[in-house]
Amino acid sequence: MFSLSSEAKVGLFVLVGLIILGYMSVQVGKQTLGLKKGYTLEVVFDSAAGLDRDASVQIAGVEIGRVESIRLQDGKALVRLRIVSNVKLEKDAIASIKTHGILGDKYVEIYPGTHGETYLAAGERISRTERQADIDKLLHQLGMIADDVRGVTSSLNRVLAGQAGEEAITSILTNTKDLTRNLNHVIVSNEAALHAALENTRQLTGNLNRVVTQNDEKVRQVMDTLKSASLEMEKTFAALKEITTGINRGEGTLGQLVKDKGAAEKLNQTLASLQEVTQKINEGRGSIGKLVNDDETVRNLNEGLTGLNRYVNKAEQFRTFLSYRGEYLFDKSDAKSYLDLRIQPKEDKFYILGVVSDPKGRRTTKDVTVGNTPTVRTEEWDRDGLLFNAQIGKRYKDLVLRGGLLESTGGVGIDYMALNDKLKLSFEAFGFGRDRRAHLKTGAEYRLFRHLYLSAGWDDFVSDQDNRSIYGGFAIRFEDDDLKYMLTTTPIPK
Amino acid sequence: MIKLVDLHKSFGKQKVLDGLDLEIEEEKTTVIIGRSGGGKSVLLKHIIGLLRPERGQILIDGTDITKLNDRALNEIRKKFGMLFQEAALFDSMTVAENVAFPLREHTTMKETEIRETVADRLRSVGLTGVEEKMPSELSGGMRKRVGLARAIALRPQIVLFDEPTTGLDPVMTEAINRLIIDTQKNFNLTCVVISHDVRSIFEIGHRIAMLYEGKIIENGTPEELRGSQNPVTLQFLAGSIEGPIRIM
Amino acid sequence: MNRFSGALDRLGRAVLAGVEEMGKIILLFVSVLGWMFRPPFKLRNIFKQMEFVGVKSIFVVVLTGTFTGMVMALQGYHGFRMFSAESLVGGTVALGMTRELGPVLTSLMVTARAGSAMAAELGTMRVTEQIDALYVMAANPVKHLIVPRVIAGVLMTPLLTVVSDFTGILGGYFVGVHILGINSGIFIKNITRLVELNDIYNGLVKAACFGLILSLIGCYKGFNTYGGAEGVGRATTEAVVLASISILISDYFLTAIMF
Repeated sequence: MFSLSSEAKVGLFVLVGLIILGYMSVQVGKQTLGLKKGYTLEVVFDSAAGLDRDASVQIAGVEIGRVESIRLQDGKALVRLRIVSNVKLEKDAIASIKTHGILGDKYVEIYPGTHGETYLAAGERISRTERQADIDKLLHQLGMIADDVRGVTSSLNRVLAGQAGEEAITSILTNTKDLTRNLNHVIVSNEAALHAALENTRQLTGNLNRVVTQNDEKVRQVMDTLKSASLEMEKTFAALKEITTGINRGEGTLGQLVKDKGAAEKLNQTLASLQEVTQKINEGRGSIGKLVNDDETVRNLNEGLTGLNRYVNKAEQFRTFLSYRGEYLFDKSDAKSYLDLRIQPKEDKFYILGVVSDPKGRRTTKDVTVGNTPTVRTEEWDRDGLLFNAQIGKRYKDLVLRGGLLESTGGVGIDYMALNDKLKLSFEAFGFGRDRRAHLKTGAEYRLFRHLYLSAGWDDFVSDQDNRSIYGGFAIRFEDDDLKYMLTTTPIPK
Repeated sequence: MIKLVDLHKSFGKQKVLDGLDLEIEEEKTTVIIGRSGGGKSVLLKHIIGLLRPERGQILIDGTDITKLNDRALNEIRKKFGMLFQEAALFDSMTVAENVAFPLREHTTMKETEIRETVADRLRSVGLTGVEEKMPSELSGGMRKRVGLARAIALRPQIVLFDEPTTGLDPVMTEAINRLIIDTQKNFNLTCVVISHDVRSIFEIGHRIAMLYEGKIIENGTPEELRGSQNPVTLQFLAGSIEGPIRIM
Repeated sequence: MNRFSGALDRLGRAVLAGVEEMGKIILLFVSVLGWMFRPPFKLRNIFKQMEFVGVKSIFVVVLTGTFTGMVMALQGYHGFRMFSAESLVGGTVALGMTRELGPVLTSLMVTARAGSAMAAELGTMRVTEQIDALYVMAANPVKHLIVPRVIAGVLMTPLLTVVSDFTGILGGYFVGVHILGINSGIFIKNITRLVELNDIYNGLVKAACFGLILSLIGCYKGFNTYGGAEGVGRATTEAVVLASISILISDYFLTAIMF
């Protein structure tokens, strides 16, 4: 048999061993071999938590380098990257630390900059970094949320646990059930009535509309009449009250009647028969009953409700605001009040109607011409006179333009809404006249609470009548739903 | 010329050499006798520097080897050959390699010369054709011969024998004794032999030294020793259990 | 009280003996270093020892390496499956083999095979006076016997470790890919991703240190054998035990220093 000397055996073994070692080294060192020649770049991260030396540096998932060193610099992590020489990074490249999956290794991801920018040279710094969702922070927040949830559930548990809670829930459910059944009952029983009522309302409002528009003068008379009527009513009520007190005490015939047992018995019987009737209706007996239980009626009702819905939606969009503003004019030591109704049929459109009480009052001028003498204009101030506001406005994003009557004179205004509409900066110009400078007003209004606003500004600041004044004040503004429904043009269902 | 002066050596509390003095004549065979475990081997190891005494001198050609460092000691050792009790052949080497070991170590001979010298030395101890055998394949007597061949490979001046005949049958004992005598004559050696085989000592020894309790108590020719009146020597030579040598 | 002081006495002696032995081993190492670079070089002896320590240990090292890798893959798989990270098995096996198990297991196997043999061989030479014979022939036993063995140990253990690493990873690959059904591409990709050159090289440096330790201790114990055949047995046992413990302990410190 062919036999090897020990030298040959050792030589062969060493050879094989070195080949294996070389193979493994090449396999493992494949990526790193090219890196030795690469160039270094620096990048500063707020935190390099989890990033290790020799961590991968990648663009679009392709490794282009390794982390060479991580040092602390001014409380931040200065990371030096070694990049293979054939990859160039633009000056506006962005570096961020990312993670392979949730539990994976951290690595540096680089978003190459815009094409055509100058390249970063060796040793330069990547100035733009991107903060990465920190998994630790995320977990921490999740933990806090879980705590909150637990708190809620535990208090719920406390409330619901035990017999008391159970009973409470049971009774709530029972009540709800009864309520819905009753409601159902009411609706079903009164379908026709509802239908008719709606129709009537429509007609009524239509008529009303017509009446109001056609008979302005008459309305006023009616209102006057109503006013006096209401005064009469008041007296009537006072009398009524006296009477009912009398009845209660059993005075007079009515009082005796109420106190009388027999009468009460009769009343009871009446009510019983009434119940009988409704029962019959319910069971579909009699003509009313049929009507109530008729499918078509139900369909009509449904349609009616749909219409109602649409109407309500429209009304929903339609918003009205009432506001009161008071401004104290520091230089005049006097106050100015505004009462405005703001009608906003659409989000970006509104009308303002309002009155203003100006301490100066309403100015009226009279031109008196006597012969050839020059016209003499006399001014009169009516201290109790009210000024009027009537403006239309439109909003473009944060900018509001409005115009119309401002304090009874023609004018325009512009508002800038900032901080989510919390702050309003406004400028108004009105009162243009030939004999005097225009009334300019600028100011800011800040929403302090839900309905309360603080305002400050400079009123009439170009006045040649010595009217300029710094002002400060407040406003109350709220949305008024009742007005809204009254003002909404009544829609026609269907 | 070997001279031992006032040697002291103890292992633990046991004193093995206790002021030993001995002079060994050149080109003669000196046999050191003494009871087993009496310090004969220790004495031999001192002569070749394997052990160092606690006190005293060992003079080899006038040099005190107890003071030498390893390198100088090795120079002295080249004058020596030694045949160990069990021959102490290197198990991992063939007979030829064993005999060639000192040659390879201390000479610049070529392989062919070495081969010739090895064959010559083996012939001189009466062996042929065993070059490629391993020591484990040899009998005890043959191993001793190979050991002797290795000991004389470098043509030393002094050869030490550590109980050369122990464990051999009478015929082989006689053969080894003759070999020692012949070798001593042929190579003009100074031989130091340790033995307690009474028959052998008178055959090979020119001088005989009796070691007892760490000292040389008698040193003389075989004839002088035969006429000795020392009770220890008498008892030892007679192989009697009666006498000053305590058996336990 | 007497018994107590006796125990203290024994403890003190044991510690002193340990320190003394360590010192002697270090002295032996120093003298090995001294003799290693002093010509003539006994290349033949070195090659013989390399054959004995290296070539003849291949089989046992391949066997342990392969099965270790296979077991690691199997165990790792069950662990990683809990996180759906089975693909990491390859990297784990490779890292474990190159950093720890390759060097340590190889060294332990070489200790068992060659370290013990060194102790037994030198012990036998000591009790049969072959070492004395070397001295007598003015040949330094450290140079002739210990230097070749230490060189062989230092050179061959890393080489065997390479074999062990490689077969371990192959074993892991076999189990992971063919038995457990991990995607082979990902398996290998994770090996190259997780393992770095330094892991392999540091493992080999470790192995060289272990080779030094095991050969030095084997030689020391054998060289200082006394008491015949029983002494040889004792020396062998002590050599294996001491070398194994030293390897495991020094592994910790080497790891702490290197990684």
